Amino acid sequence: MSLITDQVIHLSATYRLQWEEAQQMFVLLYPEGLIELNQSSAEILQHCDGSNKLSDIVQILENKFATTGLENDIASFLNVALENGWINQSA
Amino acid sequence: MAGSIKAPSPPRWLLAELTYACPLQCPYCSNPLDYSNIEEELSTDDWKRVLKQSREMGAVQLGFSGGEPLVRKDLVELVDYSHALGYYTNLITSGYNMDEAKIIELKKAGLDHIQISLQASSQELNDFIAGTESFEHKKVVAKLIKKHGYPMVLCVVLHRQNIHQMKDILEMAIELGADFVELANTQYYGWAHHNRDQLMPTQEQLTSAEAIANEYQVSQKGKMKIYYVVPDYYEGRPKACMNGWGTTFLTIAPDGLALPCHSARLLPNFDCPNVNDYSINDIWNKSKAFNYFRGDDWMKEPCRSCPEKDKDFGGCHCQAFLLTGDASNADPVCDLSPMHHTVTEAIEKASQTVESPLTFRNPKNSKAFKS
Repeated sequence: MSLITDQVIHLSATYRLQWEEAQQMFVLLYPEGLIELNQSSAEILQHCDGSNKLSDIVQILENKFATTGLENDIASFLNVALENGWINQSA
Repeated sequence: MAGSIKAPSPPRWLLAELTYACPLQCPYCSNPLDYSNIEEELSTDDWKRVLKQSREMGAVQLGFSGGEPLVRKDLVELVDYSHALGYYTNLITSGYNMDEAKIIELKKAGLDHIQISLQASSQELNDFIAGTESFEHKKVVAKLIKKHGYPMVLCVVLHRQNIHQMKDILEMAIELGADFVELANTQYYGWAHHNRDQLMPTQEQLTSAEAIANEYQVSQKGKMKIYYVVPDYYEGRPKACMNGWGTTFLTIAPDGLALPCHSARLLPNFDCPNVNDYSINDIWNKSKAFNYFRGDDWMKEPCRSCPEKDKDFGGCHCQAFLLTGDASNADPVCDLSPMHHTVTEAIEKASQTVESPLTFRNPKNSKAFKS
């Protein structure tokens, strides 16, 4: 199972992305589990909202951070996220 | 004897044991043997205070447990309150006496997830272990949980009397539509410790069960996540209990006692603080009980000089106490522990035990255990 580049990405139904004020970080919540996210993972997951494909997320983040060449890092994180079931894809 | 110097990490996980009352009588229950002597329960307002203070400190995963949390009349109100605070709310239940109206009501209140337990894959064994006729009803409830869109964890505690059903248990989980399956080998605390000789599986049973679990983990990949919790008596190294004492988990018992681990009330002279007397902030940061095993100042050999001490933190202190009489000994599950023979002898003794009756967890049996 690997990322399909022309399909939009959304968070899986059993997962919830949430900002934690006490810890000043985003966390991914699911049944009896909690993943504390670093800043780059959180930036990517925030755009997995069912309206963006890989190329859209790359463009949004490259614009936001005024940089280029993020595609490989973003794709490799999204593949891990897909493998772990945090995200899904649909046409 | 406070351990660490730097400020402790905030609690992330709050386990709210709402009540010790339970319609089931499972002989592997981790509740204290003398639970029936603990009659006081926190009020709804007490729980709301605990929930608010814990959330402010950083707790975000919340488990409503017990006993059977459905027994509490204010469960929906507490779920509603917790949801508004931003918790991810988990209900850990036997499913007994749950009906569709309650499932809908809890959903409306914001409940995120339900973990339902079954005791076996056959009615006869399930109802025997539960001490209550419940199998068919639990299966109906599990289907209703999925019907109403909850993620569902199906939990089956494994032991000598049901572990041979592994394949049927997993098939049942698929049939019921579980998203996650927790196949947890019994951990020997509370009633399980008392019934250890009757519950301990053999090595042959474990090898066979683990192979089946692995096979299903592969075939169910992407559909149902299977967690197989190994029995630590058969491991050479201890578990990293509670992710480290006072680092992540906070348990509040029905009477308001705050515990760094849900078994910690069995540790003598530990002075676990009560939420009726202290704020969660004071309990987490300042109490003797929560600081006791933080860091590694408390460690004796062989833990003190062990290169793995940051990996397992010395293992489980409650287990060290139960098996060696001293909670600051290394968890004897570790084969480097000079007391490791207490574990191998327990396995040996259980293998030679002629089948004798289980002691079921109920008020009558509990009254026989004076605190």
